[in-house]
Amino acid sequence: MDETVSEFFRRTILKIPLTEMMTILKTWNFLSENQLQTVNFRQRKESLVQDLVLLCEENRASLNDAALLDIIYTQFHRHQKVWDVFQMSKGPGEDTDLFDMEQFKSSFKKILKRALKNVTVSFRDAEENAVWIRIAWGTQYRKPNQYKPAYVVYYSQTPYAFTSSSQLKSNLPLLGQALTVASKHHQIVKMDLRSRYLDSLKAIVFKQYNQTFETHNSTTPLQERSLGLDINMDSRIIHENKTEKERVQRVTQEIFGDYPQPRLEFAQYKLETKFKSDLNGGILAEREEPLRCLVKFSSPHLLEALKSLAPAGIADAPLSPLLTCIPNKGMNYFKIRDK
Amino acid sequence: MELANTLSQDGESRGGVLAHLERLETQVSRSRKKMEEPQSAQAEESALGTRIHELRRLRDKLRAEVKQHQASVKASTTNVESDQTSEITEQESLKRKRENVKAILQAYRFTGISGKLTSRGACVCISTAFEGNLLGSYFVDLVMRKPLQIHHHSIPVFIPLEEISAKYLQTNVQHFLFTLCEYLNAYSGRKYQADRLQSDFEAFLAGPLQRNSLCNLLSFTYKAEPEGQSFPFCARLLYKDLTTTLPTDVTVTYQGTDALSTTQEEQRAAHENLFFTKPLHQVFTSFARKGDKLDMSLVS
Repeated sequence: MDETVSEFFRRTILKIPLTEMMTILKTWNFLSENQLQTVNFRQRKESLVQDLVLLCEENRASLNDAALLDIIYTQFHRHQKVWDVFQMSKGPGEDTDLFDMEQFKSSFKKILKRALKNVTVSFRDAEENAVWIRIAWGTQYRKPNQYKPAYVVYYSQTPYAFTSSSQLKSNLPLLGQALTVASKHHQIVKMDLRSRYLDSLKAIVFKQYNQTFETHNSTTPLQERSLGLDINMDSRIIHENKTEKERVQRVTQEIFGDYPQPRLEFAQYKLETKFKSDLNGGILAEREEPLRCLVKFSSPHLLEALKSLAPAGIADAPLSPLLTCIPNKGMNYFKIRDK
Repeated sequence: MELANTLSQDGESRGGVLAHLERLETQVSRSRKKMEEPQSAQAEESALGTRIHELRRLRDKLRAEVKQHQASVKASTTNVESDQTSEITEQESLKRKRENVKAILQAYRFTGISGKLTSRGACVCISTAFEGNLLGSYFVDLVMRKPLQIHHHSIPVFIPLEEISAKYLQTNVQHFLFTLCEYLNAYSGRKYQADRLQSDFEAFLAGPLQRNSLCNLLSFTYKAEPEGQSFPFCARLLYKDLTTTLPTDVTVTYQGTDALSTTQEEQRAAHENLFFTKPLHQVFTSFARKGDKLDMSLVS
């Protein structure tokens, strides 16, 4: 086995936490049960990795096998990457999309290989007719860098592709082109949506985040749900402004719904607006040029945090539509200018 | 006594007369008594008789009173009961009616398109089915506003919902729902066929079934007889019409290097035709049955 491939294996396996080692190796399904049984998984990690690399050499593992292992590791640790969303569109009056996965894969690979001689493209099929693509970029003269790959997750017959933000931004147009042509679309546009949580991004663009529907089978009437006021808490506590609190709860529920919010870490607003003030005068009020500033909201779970603002009394209800439109519009980057 | 003694000379006559008289006297007194007895007895009798009458009257009176009392108690209790039971039955009948209506509303699902009014508008449920099997349900929550809006839905992303709503949602809601229903039912039917092929007829497939989200392109290699001598064919089914559950294009090819014999060619053409006309899993069911028939012929 090639020295570089061997090293690639070593570094990939070293990344895997010991607690996940068995699961990931089994998912990879490259080393047999018998072979795995010969390995002592309780030894020091360095030695364990060495043993495993030796086994891979025995099996004549190729670069592609290593790439596949890398994909599996990334699938298990998808939150370690930040994902962008691209939207593709077809021309008007297109024929029915008869998506052939094998055709897509070969077409995609062909386009990249034609443009860049040195590129490693690997595929792994995933659930819901999706495919994970790993691309290691090289140049005309340099071999692909296996340690800074880009990932693309594409669900067949949808206009959306999710890409891990690659550090090599120069290859982005080529990637876009390959995706568009291989999936028989005409155009590709980067959406203003970014997050670590791939599943939340999918829920937002596929509009799957609100799946509660009223049917005749449902038995819980809306009024029965607790308003979170917990009035039975202590009889000595009297809630002031009960009607206002209930109004806030109602408005929050109307806007945010009952479902768990998709997970985003931030929302960013680039403002280019003239300064608006209630007070008369002031230096900034007379300024003709628009002010440029960046407002960024960060949270481990931004939408849940926004949802709790009004009930906690920190903000008025209803919240600004700039905040509440995030999942609906599929954006968490905004540029706001004066109309 | 002397008399008695003197009587004794006359003997019987003297003793006889007095004794006779005595006897008569006693007789008379006796008969008088007897005569008196019935009188007193009669009196007694009549007294008793009247007493009996009285007692009877009293008895009857009391009986009547008791009866009346019982009757009144009964009447009052039955009155109460009948009120209660009429209340209960009214309540019960209303409850039963409500449950009946609710069950009917729930059963509307089986018609394919059903819905429920919401505070915003309506939530429509499209239930899909294929060959009598109830498959998935999909929802569209509509907001009754001008223009009509979809608030949220559970339609899969690869169904051209935006296209369909752009065409029909504002102008003809019925047509919008029927078209959506068509697409969803066809998708469910195709998916059902592909799932059945993968699960029930694995033995006939030489490799994995290639499919896509819409299940409108299926590609697989199969043998009409899993253990037999038949040749593996490659089938490629295209469903260009998203509203149908049968393919629009079918190609069955032979992957080998030698040319096909006439029987094999006939078989290939026949298979092609089968895939055109019958649902996928039914084609394989007929393969399986043919296999059984062959076994039978071997036995006989």
